[in-house]
Amino acid sequence: MQSNSNRQITTIESAAVLVSTIIGVGVLPLPLFAVRAGDAGAPLVTLLGMLVGFVGLALIALLGMRFPNKNIIQYSEDIIGKWLAALGSICIIGFFAVLTSLTAREFGEVVVTSVLKETPLEVTVIVMLLLAAVSTRNNVITFSYIHLFYFPFLLLPAILIVALSLKNADLINLQPVWGNNPSHMLPGVLTVAALFQGSFVLTLVIPAMRNPKKAMKASLLGMLIAGGLYISIVIAAVGVFGAEEIKNLLWPTLELAKATSLPANILERLDAAFLAVWVTAVFTTLFSSYYLTLQALSTLSRLKDHNMLSFFLLPLVFIMAVMPQNIISMYEIIAFVGRIGLSLTIGYPALLFIIALIRGKRGDRSNGKQVEKAS
Amino acid sequence: MNSSDGTSGSNSTNSSNSTNSTNSTNSGNSSNSSNSSTSSTSNTNSTNSTSDGNAPNNRKRVVTEASTPVLEPTVNVDLTSNLENTIQAIKAVLMEDGDFIIRRFRVFGRYDAAVFYYSSMVDQAMINSSIVKPLMRPPGTFEGTSIEPDELYDALINQIIYHSDVHPEPSLSSIVEGLLRGNTTVIVDGLDEGLVISTSKIDKRAVDQPATEQVIRGPREGFIELLDTNISLIRYRLQTPELRINTIEVGRRSRSRVAICFMDGITNVDLVKEVKQRIAKIDIDAVLDSGYLEQFIEDNHYSPFPQVQYTERPDKVVANLLEGRVAILVNGSPLALVVPTVFSQFYQTAEDYTERFVMMSAVRLARLIALVFSLVFPSLYVSIISFNPELIPTEFAVAVAGGRSGVPFPAVIEVLIIEISMEVLREATIRLPQQIGGALSIVGVLVIGQAAVSAGFASPITVVIIAMTTIGSFATPAYNAALSLRLLRFPLIILAGVFGLYGVVIGLILIANHLLSLNSFGVPYLTPWVPGDLKGMKDLLIRGPLYRMGERPSFLYPEDKKRTGKDIVAKMDEEPYKVLDPVEVEKRRSQSDAKQQQPSDNDN
Repeated sequence: MQSNSNRQITTIESAAVLVSTIIGVGVLPLPLFAVRAGDAGAPLVTLLGMLVGFVGLALIALLGMRFPNKNIIQYSEDIIGKWLAALGSICIIGFFAVLTSLTAREFGEVVVTSVLKETPLEVTVIVMLLLAAVSTRNNVITFSYIHLFYFPFLLLPAILIVALSLKNADLINLQPVWGNNPSHMLPGVLTVAALFQGSFVLTLVIPAMRNPKKAMKASLLGMLIAGGLYISIVIAAVGVFGAEEIKNLLWPTLELAKATSLPANILERLDAAFLAVWVTAVFTTLFSSYYLTLQALSTLSRLKDHNMLSFFLLPLVFIMAVMPQNIISMYEIIAFVGRIGLSLTIGYPALLFIIALIRGKRGDRSNGKQVEKAS
Repeated sequence: MNSSDGTSGSNSTNSSNSTNSTNSTNSGNSSNSSNSSTSSTSNTNSTNSTSDGNAPNNRKRVVTEASTPVLEPTVNVDLTSNLENTIQAIKAVLMEDGDFIIRRFRVFGRYDAAVFYYSSMVDQAMINSSIVKPLMRPPGTFEGTSIEPDELYDALINQIIYHSDVHPEPSLSSIVEGLLRGNTTVIVDGLDEGLVISTSKIDKRAVDQPATEQVIRGPREGFIELLDTNISLIRYRLQTPELRINTIEVGRRSRSRVAICFMDGITNVDLVKEVKQRIAKIDIDAVLDSGYLEQFIEDNHYSPFPQVQYTERPDKVVANLLEGRVAILVNGSPLALVVPTVFSQFYQTAEDYTERFVMMSAVRLARLIALVFSLVFPSLYVSIISFNPELIPTEFAVAVAGGRSGVPFPAVIEVLIIEISMEVLREATIRLPQQIGGALSIVGVLVIGQAAVSAGFASPITVVIIAMTTIGSFATPAYNAALSLRLLRFPLIILAGVFGLYGVVIGLILIANHLLSLNSFGVPYLTPWVPGDLKGMKDLLIRGPLYRMGERPSFLYPEDKKRTGKDIVAKMDEEPYKVLDPVEVEKRRSQSDAKQQQPSDNDN
C-alpha cells in the first residue's frame, strides 16, 4: 500500500504506535483476568502473558525485517502462494474486524455503566466507531503521528493512578508472588497475552519505517513500556484490593481510579476524569485495529484507496459490536476470540517465518542474494 | 486575446527585438501562452507573453494569467512616430478621466510633444521641474545649438531629462500600464518610443505602531499599505545581498504587485519555487489584501485552522525569513504572509525573543494555557455540571448548585446563550466607532453580566467561566488562530451537553486528528511536537536561550542550517570575568602598581 519513498516513521514513533495500540480498554478488566488465573500471582501471570505476546510481536518484527517493503498480506503471498495466503489474510481481516467491534462494545459498556447511565449502548458504540472510521481516512504517516500524539495522554493518567494508589497498597496482598495454584495459570496467561494482539499493526508500520532494521528495537521498546504499565497496574490493583476483592470487581482498574484522589483535593474523584482521558487510549486501540482491517482489506483486494472502504465496513463492525447479549457473554466472547486470535497472531506468523526460512524467501533485496540464500 | 491576434502577428518580430532582458522567463510565460494558445501560433504566444511582461518597471517580474480585458487590445500595438496618432490611441484606452492629464508642449520650441499622467498619482512638482522645464527650455549647454531629429532621442535620454528612472517604451500597452502605476509618459513627435518616467507619488500613512501585535519590548514599526515602504522596512533590517525580493503581478484588474521575499542561501529553493507556482496559479479579478492570497495558497481550504501566518511586524517577517520561511507581501495590504506555518507559531510573539528566556518561557506557557482554556473551558464546565458534579470538591459543588438554583435552563443552553451574546458583544465592539467602543464594552460586560445574573438568567459561575474563556481567547496572539478556536468551542459545548466529558474528549480527538493530518507546504502542522524533533522543542512550549538555538528549524530544510557560530555555546558557558570584583580590582591595581614601580625604578 505504502510507496517506498515515503519512509518517514522513526523508531520512537513505531514504538509509540505499539504502546498506544496495546494499551486500551483491556487495561480496565486486566487485573481481574490476571487474578482469576493466579490470585496473588497476578503480576507474574501478566509478565508471562506479556512474554507470550512478545513472541508474536517479535515474529512480526522478524518477518517485517525480512520483507522490509511489504506487509503481511503481501509477503504471505510470496511465502505460501497466492491462494493460501488469501485464506490467511481473510482470517486476519475477519479477526481484526471482530476485535475492533469487541473493543468498541467493551468500551461502550464501560461508558454506559459508569458515566453515561442513560445513554443507549448503541450510541456510545457508534460514536466510538465513527470516530475511528473518520480518522482512518489518513495515510500511514498520519496514522503514526496520531499515535505519537496520544502517547503521553495514555501514559500519564495510568502512571498517576498507579503512583497515587500505591500509598494504599499492602505488600502482603502480593504474596506469594507465584500465586496459590501455579498450575492453573495457563488460561490466564493466554487471556492476558490476547490483550497484546493489537501489536500486530506493526506489520503495516514497518514498510513505512525509515529504518526497518530497527523494527525489533521498536517492538522491544513498545512491549517494555506497555508491559511495564500493565504489570504496574496489576501490582497496584492487587496491592490495594487484594486478590479476593478483585474477583468481585468487573473493572478493577476503574475502581482503582475511584479509590484514589489527587492531593490537595483538587478533584473530588478521579474515575470520571480517568475515563475521559482513557477515551484516547481506547480510541488509539480501536483506530489501530480498524486501520489494520481496512489496510489489509484494501491490500488484499488491490484497491488503491482505502478511504472509500472505511464507511462500508462501519455497519458490519457495528452489527458485530452489538451482537453480544450482555457484558457476561461479551467477556466470554472476548476470551474465546482472544484464544483464536492468539493462534492467528502468533501461529500464522510463526508458520510464515518458518516456511520463509526453509524456502529462503527474502524481501526486495537484490535477486542475487535471494539465489544465494536459496542455494 | 482574440482581438489582438492580427496585430500581434504582424508585429511579432518587432516586439521580440525590443524585449527587455530583465523579463524573467518564469511560469508567467507558460500560463500566458496557455491563455492564448487557442487562437495563435506558438510564435505569437511567446511574443505575446514577453511584451506583456515588458513593463516600465525594471524589476524582475512575472505577469500571471490575469490580464485586464480593456488592456488586451493594446498588447503588442506599437507606437508610431506620429504624435497625434499616439494621443488618440492612448485616449481611446484611458478615455476622458478627470484626473488624466495630457499636456501638449514643444520640445526646444521645435518638436511637438505631450506629457501624459494621472494627476492623482504623481508628484506634480517633479514633473514640472525635472521633466517639462528642461524639455521646454534646454539647459545652458544646448543654448544656441539646434538639435537635429536624429540626435533628439539620444539628447533627451542622456542629457535633458533630470530623472534616474527613465525607460523608453515602444508599445502602447506598457505605456498605459506605466501611466496606471503613476508614471509619466513623454511622447515626442518623430520618435517611435515613448519615455516612461517614474514619478509615482501616492499618499500614504506614516509607519506606525502595529495595531494588533503590540509589544512592550521590541521595535515599534508596523507595515503600512504601500509595498515599497514595506520592502524598505524589511531591507534596512536585513542589509545583506542574500535578501531576494521577487515581484509578481496578480489580479486581472487590480494588477496588484505581490512581492515574494526569501533569503538566498537559507530558504529551501524548492519551497520558493512552490510558493511562486501557487501564486502564479491565482487568477482572480482583484487582490485587495494578502488575505485573498492566503485563501489561494493554503493547503487545506476547508480546515478551520489557519495554515498561513500573517503579521504586520517587519521584525517578525525578518525573523521568519532567517528561519528559512518565505514572506509574501501585497501592495495595498499592511499584513505580510509567512509560509510554511506550523501551529506553534500562533502562540509565539515577537516579544518572546526580545525579553529574557526564563521569563518569556513562563509567559509563553501561560499563553498556551489561555489558548487551551479558550477552547475547552466552557465545555468542561458544562460536562462537569450536568454529568459529573462528583468531580468537583463538595463545598464548591454546593456553591455551584446554589448559584444555578434559579436558572431555568440546563447548563448547556445557559452557556450557549451567554457565549453567543458574548460573541455578539465582541463583534459589536469591533464595529463601533472608537470613541464609544470602550464605553460600550464596559457597559456590556459589567451591566449585562450583572443584570443577567440578578435576573436569574445565568448563574454567576457561568458568567465567570465565559469571561475567563473570552479573556483567554484574547491572550492568543494570532487573531486567526483565536478565531478558529472560538468557532470550535461551540461544537465542543454541544458535545459536552450531549455526552459529557466523554463527548468533550471525542471532540478533542477529532480536532487533534484533524490537526495531525494537516500540513502547510508539506510541513506537518504540529511540528516540532509531532513528529518529534528534540532540537525544535527548544522553541515549542518554552523558549530556549538564543545562543543554544543554534540551528534553524530543521523541518524547513534550510540550505544553511547553522544560525550561530560554532563554539558559541562553549563561549557563553565560560565563567565570565568579574571585572569589578574587589579581589580582581585589587589584583589588577597591584599589578599595575608593580608595573609602574618597575619603570620608575629603572628611571631612578
